[in-house]
Amino acid sequence: MPTVAPATIDDLAAAVRDTAPSSIAVRGGGSKRDWGGVAEVAELEVSTAALDRIVEHADGDFVVTVQAGARLADVQNVLGSKGQWLALDPPEAGATIGGIVATAASGPRRLRFGTPRDLLIGVTVVLADGTVARSGGKVVKNVAGYDLGKLFCGAFGTLGVIAQCTFRLHPSPRAIRCVSVPLDDPGDAVRSLRRSPFRPSAIEYDGTRLSIVVEAFESAADAQAEQIRALVGGEVSAAVPEQFGARPWRSGEVGLKATFRVGALSPALALARGFRLSAHAASGVLWLGGAVDAGVLDELRAGFAAYDGSVVVVAAPDGMKRKLDVWGPVRGVEVMRRIRDQFDPDRRMNRGVLDAV
Amino acid sequence: MPSEGAWDERHPPPTELLDDCVHCGFCLPTCPTYVLWGEEMDSPRGRIYLMAEGHDGEPLSEPMVTHFDRCLGCMACVTACPSGVQYDRLIEATRAQVERRFPRSARERALRSLVFKTFPYPRRLHALRPFLRAYQKSGLRLPLPAKLTAMQRLLPPLGPASPVAELTPARGPRRARVGMLLGCVQREFFADVNAATVRVLTAEGCDVVAPSVQGCCGALSLHMGREDEAVRFAKRLIATFEPLGLDVIVVNAAGCGSAMKDYGWLLRDEAGWASRGAAFSAKVRDVSEWLVELGPGATRHALDVSVAYHDACHLAHAQRITSAPRELLRAIPGVEIREIEEAAICCGSAGVYNLLQPQAAGELGARKAANVAATGADVLVTANPGCLMQIRTALADRGIPMRLAHIVEVLDASIRRDPTLLGP
Amino acid sequence: MSATTSALPGAENPGNVALDGLAREFVAALGPAAVVTDRVQLRTYECDGLTAYRCIPGLVVLPETAEQVGYVVRRCAQSSVPFVARGAGTGLSGGALPVATGVLIVLSRLTAVRNVSVDDERVVVEPGVVNLDVSRAVAADGYFYAPDPSSQQVCTIGGNVAENSGGAHCLKYGFTAHHVTGLEVVLPDGSVSRFGGLAPDPPGYDVVGALVGSEGTLGIVTEVTVRVVAVPERVETVLAGFRSMDDAGEAVSAIVAAGVLPAAVEMMDTLSIEAAESAVACGYPAGAQAVLIVELDGPAAEVSAELAEVEAICERAGAFEIRVARDADDRVAIWRGRKSAFAAMGRISRDYIVQDGVVPRTSLPQVLRDIALLSAESGIRVANVFHAGDGNLHPLVLFDSTRGETAAAEAVSERILELCIEHGGSITGEHGVGNDKKKHMGRMFTEVDLDVMQLVRCAFDPQSLCNPGKVFPTPRLCGERPGRRTGVHPVQAAGLGEVF
Repeated sequence: MPTVAPATIDDLAAAVRDTAPSSIAVRGGGSKRDWGGVAEVAELEVSTAALDRIVEHADGDFVVTVQAGARLADVQNVLGSKGQWLALDPPEAGATIGGIVATAASGPRRLRFGTPRDLLIGVTVVLADGTVARSGGKVVKNVAGYDLGKLFCGAFGTLGVIAQCTFRLHPSPRAIRCVSVPLDDPGDAVRSLRRSPFRPSAIEYDGTRLSIVVEAFESAADAQAEQIRALVGGEVSAAVPEQFGARPWRSGEVGLKATFRVGALSPALALARGFRLSAHAASGVLWLGGAVDAGVLDELRAGFAAYDGSVVVVAAPDGMKRKLDVWGPVRGVEVMRRIRDQFDPDRRMNRGVLDAV
Repeated sequence: MPSEGAWDERHPPPTELLDDCVHCGFCLPTCPTYVLWGEEMDSPRGRIYLMAEGHDGEPLSEPMVTHFDRCLGCMACVTACPSGVQYDRLIEATRAQVERRFPRSARERALRSLVFKTFPYPRRLHALRPFLRAYQKSGLRLPLPAKLTAMQRLLPPLGPASPVAELTPARGPRRARVGMLLGCVQREFFADVNAATVRVLTAEGCDVVAPSVQGCCGALSLHMGREDEAVRFAKRLIATFEPLGLDVIVVNAAGCGSAMKDYGWLLRDEAGWASRGAAFSAKVRDVSEWLVELGPGATRHALDVSVAYHDACHLAHAQRITSAPRELLRAIPGVEIREIEEAAICCGSAGVYNLLQPQAAGELGARKAANVAATGADVLVTANPGCLMQIRTALADRGIPMRLAHIVEVLDASIRRDPTLLGP
Repeated sequence: MSATTSALPGAENPGNVALDGLAREFVAALGPAAVVTDRVQLRTYECDGLTAYRCIPGLVVLPETAEQVGYVVRRCAQSSVPFVARGAGTGLSGGALPVATGVLIVLSRLTAVRNVSVDDERVVVEPGVVNLDVSRAVAADGYFYAPDPSSQQVCTIGGNVAENSGGAHCLKYGFTAHHVTGLEVVLPDGSVSRFGGLAPDPPGYDVVGALVGSEGTLGIVTEVTVRVVAVPERVETVLAGFRSMDDAGEAVSAIVAAGVLPAAVEMMDTLSIEAAESAVACGYPAGAQAVLIVELDGPAAEVSAELAEVEAICERAGAFEIRVARDADDRVAIWRGRKSAFAAMGRISRDYIVQDGVVPRTSLPQVLRDIALLSAESGIRVANVFHAGDGNLHPLVLFDSTRGETAAAEAVSERILELCIEHGGSITGEHGVGNDKKKHMGRMFTEVDLDVMQLVRCAFDPQSLCNPGKVFPTPRLCGERPGRRTGVHPVQAAGLGEVF
């Protein structure tokens, strides 16, 4: 499969328009290559590796515009020098901005800052026929026109190539405190935290230990951490634990993402018994790792559906994915198909990856 | 296309007032009929639009009049309006035009005439009283048309009549000489309230002057667009009170008070009367307003009750008096005030609205009763006889037992150290 | 319920047989109280909160249930009759402007709160529920609904979804899009679809995200699931008076640069202060050329640290009076002035245009100076009320139409939008494009950008029946590829219509 790595958006557009490939695969940092359905081998692979510039960091406005191939870690370094950060913390090392947006990947701090859709304020995309389009802009508050950025978040590249993104930024936290407490069932603790006046950045559960992260002014962080400790117990430290927010699956295993209404944490965890897990405990998201067959998956889906949630196979070896219904039932899928048909009528983009739609 | 518009030249709803409306919609959630039906034309903004359409060549049609008629005149929209639209002036002008120019059905005419030949005439009401009382006692219920049934159901239980003396001297040193409006409905159906008013005022050091022959204040006529009649009533009332050398004229019915405070405007076209009207209006006080202005003299004794205070529209919106009654209640040891949800929404009484639009009034009454009941208070307190009748009926319909009292009755009970005055 | 109808239609659109037939069907199916056909009554629906555009709807329907909405839309679709959804009619971009040959579907009777699940931090409501009533539904549990447009006691959730409404507090809490997790939608063909729900991250495309802010052009929302958040432990509201807009602007930049993220930062200039004072006597610092309202909320420890910082910054920037709200009532009093400012303009000017534009925050001082210059040159007064924290300007262009100032005022208003675009901002921060600003869309986006956006529309509404004529300056034919249009538009060539 031939690969192009254009260094400009125009070149990217030209590459797909001029060669008019019958199928196109998009590749970013490759950190989530095994995510989604089994990708078909494409006629052309478009890599964003050379589209890796930070186009503009308007620090006074707390806004950054970056090309899709820029790696999140590199972007954070640059922003950090100005006391700012892009409040996304998915754990995959080497991930690019484009890949994070395309997969709507999230990490622990989504509790406070949301997911890519919540921070993306402008996007430039290249459609399968080479059309370049833009939506949003570089101001946070903006309701002019449809918000294509939202549609491209989590579309796994099936609507077009994300070429450039503009994000809202946040000030870097001044101090971090982590309250850690071992718990068999964190349900009550998380409920009381959610109802408390505290505003943690993250509340994570790894199957044995609940970690509550507070980021604020030094004095405020100390005060909150102490009050949280008084509420749920445990110990306060000045750093997050190792493996904080890491995906719980190992290579060769099946990785799942299960969601549920946030009040159902305890029953959701009960459903996940037997899996290694990493939970965004106050957000209604569970990442699971372990051995899964079609029967187990069906059972989990029925279980989480009772809490209005879904179970998606995130990562697995292709052989295993072929035996599983990767996406499961998708609410409103007919409309999604119509959207896909409009953007990519020949279905050239990232075939197989979002096969439910 | 219509050629002639809805309005003639005699005081149409003024276009310069209509232009004040910027169509922001802030009035919608406070309008009782919009809350009920969600229709633009049954909202203040929609009615203003209809008035403007009338200037724009649309005739005074049945649908247009229907929406004006459905307005309760509660004036909650006036309070809510950030642009200062004088909806009160607009609807008043509109109603006068409708009354003069729109031919109503025979049935409507008959009902309106029944209302207006009895309510504003204390003596006629008085003459009717023994029959009504006997009728109530008999337990008989005649099969009457819906609107008359509404009228009959609203009647409070009638006790024996108790007239107020022409002059009741202050107890203790005299602090003021006040006139008292006896009211038409108040006098006949809420004699206890008038008696309590006299006791409280005298206890607070007021000489109370209450001419036994005093007609209607004209509020009812005014709110229904019967402008000429209202003017007649106003002149008579002014003539009655003018020579009495009063410091203020105290009113214990919110609807009457709001009309009397506006005599200057009502009489603006009457030669020689405009300034007399304005001078009279300047002396008018709601009883709560007056008692706060006067400051407490008599000792308040503890009453161990929780009280849901209902803002009468003509007190809260038309006269902008909301803190005085609460202040008076708070000053009584032991009284706990509970606020009612949707306080700004009218109870549906609105003068004779509950007689002319019984269905809408019934729905609003039920809504109010539910919100009142939700407070769990011992006593519902308000400052208007119409509200008392309306809420009493609505509570009774839902089988909710709750005592009701006019605010002066609560003060009276406190000053006389007799909680039983608040009723069973 | 009201008996609204007098005569069945015919008079208004004598040639429109389709509408006549629909009116009869709707009366039969929904009852006469749900259908408005009388001209005098229809006219009360001819505009929303933006009265500059008016169009008498062919027919108004007031359904009471989602099923009835579906039925009405289905019959419209089958008859190829356009339709427009309307909530409380408070929009400021003409987004609910009716279509003369179409049906206006008024959702003010869909007011049920269907489900309150505080434990899941969700409330499920029908579209006619008033914004503030969502907060009321969870207030006793210590929660609230964060998006707070200035019209929050009137405007409905359905309209908020259409416009992606913000409000003073969206600086910290985000917009409607950040708080809607599920939607039930009657699609333009009359079918009903659900997207999202109580749980986060539904698989597939983020259709909820695409629908929020689509200005009623993709369907009619009949149920909305929103996220509610816990009431903060402490709220502090600072009111600071400045001698100049520049000083106030400097304070805003310094606050943000210090890493403080206030819940809201609002600025008003001397004209808007005057209007607010005359409307609600809000008691702002006397003689202030600019006031700043800074609201901080969150955990007590955090807020007190931030409060000290904000007060110090305001003082350094030259604030001559700094007041911190004593209690909740005092806070309401401070906000009352700000929230009433728009509507209060009626007290200082016969006519006015409310503009809504956005600039990057760092461009604020320059843009404000440019606006002042523009005002001086044209003799048209401009009052400024705005969300300073996110650069969202609301210049109020004051004029008197009886003195022939309308054209000059419109020119000033348009020039302000151009300034916003020149500074890399947006033509609308929260009021939406609607009918009012579609002509400006071409300045912010290329024709191709707009065509690609309309691919979404084609997926939902290939017949272009759902709120037609809004948002986009040029309607496009579905099936045609973006960026490929050359020469005369096929619709024009076929004599079927004008490209406008």
